[in-house]
Amino acid sequence: MEKTTTGTVAAGTDVGYDLDIVKMFFTATVVWALVGMLVGVIIALQLAWWPANLGLPWTTFGRLRPLHTNAVIFAFGGNVVFTGIYHSTQRLLRTRMFSDTLSRVHFWGWQSIIVLAAVTLPLGMTQSKEYAELIWPIDVLITVVWVVFGVNFFGTLARRKVQHLYVAIWFYMSFVITIAVLHIVNSLAVPATWFRSYPVYSGLTDALVQWWYGHNAVGFFLTTPFLGLMYYYLPRAAERPVYSYRLSIIHFWALVFLYIWAGPHHLLYSALPDWAQTLGMVFSVMLIAPSWGGMLNGLLTLRGAWDRVRTDPILKFMVVAVSFYGMSTFEGPMMSIRAVNGLAHYTNWVIGHVHSGALGWVGMISFGMLYWMVQNIWKRPLAHPTWASHHFWLATIGIVLYTVSMWAAGLMEGLQWRALNDAGQLANPIFVDITARLNPFLWIRLLGGAMYLTGAVMMAVNFWQTIRGPERPAAEPVPVAAD
Amino acid sequence: MNPLLREAAASVQLGWVLGAMTVVFLAVFLGWVFWAYRPKHRAMMEEIGRMPFMDGGDA
Ligand code: HEM
Ligand code: HEM
Repeated sequence: MEKTTTGTVAAGTDVGYDLDIVKMFFTATVVWALVGMLVGVIIALQLAWWPANLGLPWTTFGRLRPLHTNAVIFAFGGNVVFTGIYHSTQRLLRTRMFSDTLSRVHFWGWQSIIVLAAVTLPLGMTQSKEYAELIWPIDVLITVVWVVFGVNFFGTLARRKVQHLYVAIWFYMSFVITIAVLHIVNSLAVPATWFRSYPVYSGLTDALVQWWYGHNAVGFFLTTPFLGLMYYYLPRAAERPVYSYRLSIIHFWALVFLYIWAGPHHLLYSALPDWAQTLGMVFSVMLIAPSWGGMLNGLLTLRGAWDRVRTDPILKFMVVAVSFYGMSTFEGPMMSIRAVNGLAHYTNWVIGHVHSGALGWVGMISFGMLYWMVQNIWKRPLAHPTWASHHFWLATIGIVLYTVSMWAAGLMEGLQWRALNDAGQLANPIFVDITARLNPFLWIRLLGGAMYLTGAVMMAVNFWQTIRGPERPAAEPVPVAAD
Repeated sequence: MNPLLREAAASVQLGWVLGAMTVVFLAVFLGWVFWAYRPKHRAMMEEIGRMPFMDGGDA
């Protein structure tokens, strides 16, 4: 095939894409989604009802919480992004991956990192940096595996059969490059023993590097690659091109440019110099513009297809995902304003914000993509089309229960902590009293999380039976509305 | 120099750096918008937007 600007491939041509690697990452995604969310439900139970810590060091909240965050972000989130990247990159570049061997080294390397995390974190081995807890030998392994992925990805780019890079590819590129830089810079440490190391940064510098990393982990692990997925799979599922391609590239550059500077909003009212706090705050507030540009571009892609949104669970998942993306990127800039942050910081409001992004945006866009994929890659109709709708409603109501209860809890805590009586003393001097009042909200959150997990279990069973079921006859067109 | 004065001088310099950065960033951004929305590029942009549908395949 000759290299052309946008590389039209005639129908029926076999380019020879590697679909096996896509299926491998797909399977890993579903498995780790269940594990990560189950641990989420367990720690939610522990917060509401302390005996669930079981009195054993390995099962206490402090050790299981980083297990949850690592499992959902890097195991579920990582694998789902790799699934989408390996599938859509090959198709958008009209070529097979650069190296099948590197693809497999990437796959097995990433899964072994996850297993090592699942063993070391409950044992209490950690370097105590949020979202970068893993001890240094695992950090080295992550670096090696990431380089393998990078070579494979950019190798594929180099041998592409098209000149233009579709916007999803730009989002993937930012993910591959930025995560490498963030991981290496934040994890720089001097090893003392196999299990222990000392960071090269100290004090305020350490805090700044950590939250430059932490915020950009949100930006470049939970946002840009998922936007790439949105720009490929939403048009595919809706069967119409993205609303404005020009907006999409402006959205891309503005977003990656602004994100990098926003980290200090995690360090407001800290010892960080005022000007740096203000800088972080200003960039965070500006972030709303490209974020909403992306949201609108996603929603407007569905113009003229809203009748299908009512019946097609795939589009329903995607619409809710994009809406939650809009909500959390409105909430985030608000929480970055110093005065608002003074109320929100350290409260459950932050947890509500996190999960409206994580369950609403990351989770729902992933589910939509996975339902689309299982039918198109395995070429089978869903075993239980109605279950997909049930899953959608369980997840949506679950998110609402989770986020609303956390917002209420967070506002209550924040207001009670700072409330003063007429004499100018703390109105609630006994901290633990406020904590005890949170309990009903924690149970509601648990209910929401359990519903979300139940939906994910239904999805896994549905996929299992779909994949084992009979293949769709070649002549039959791909169903769009599955219920 | 008096430490207070030194700090003031540093913040004035910082102000210049931030001001210059703002101008450069804004210019790059506007240039980018201009490039993307040039009528000449319209057809090309729309064609790139259709790339997910032009690979003839099924999955
Ligand atoms: C069944 C679904 C889930 C439940 C029940 C759940 C529950 C929890 C709980 C109880 C915490 C600790 C909150 C605290 O310390 O007060 C937590 C933290 C966290 N979860 Fe989840 N979670 C779920 C799904 C997810 C998913 C899918 C993601 C990401 C894609 C995610 C990302 C996080 C993050 C980043 C934190 C740390 C937040 C912070 O430090 O501010 N969770 N989760
Ligand atoms: C314009 C976009 C966003 C801005 C400006 C923003 C801003 C913020 C702010 C101010 C905090 C609270 C920091 C604190 O007081 O401790 C926060 C926490 C957080 N946000 Fe966002 N947010 C945005 C979007 C998102 C999205 C889309 C997600 C998830 C997919 C997300 C995930 C998180 C996480 C995980 C934390 C908790 C960090 C921690 O303390 O462990 N954010 N964000």
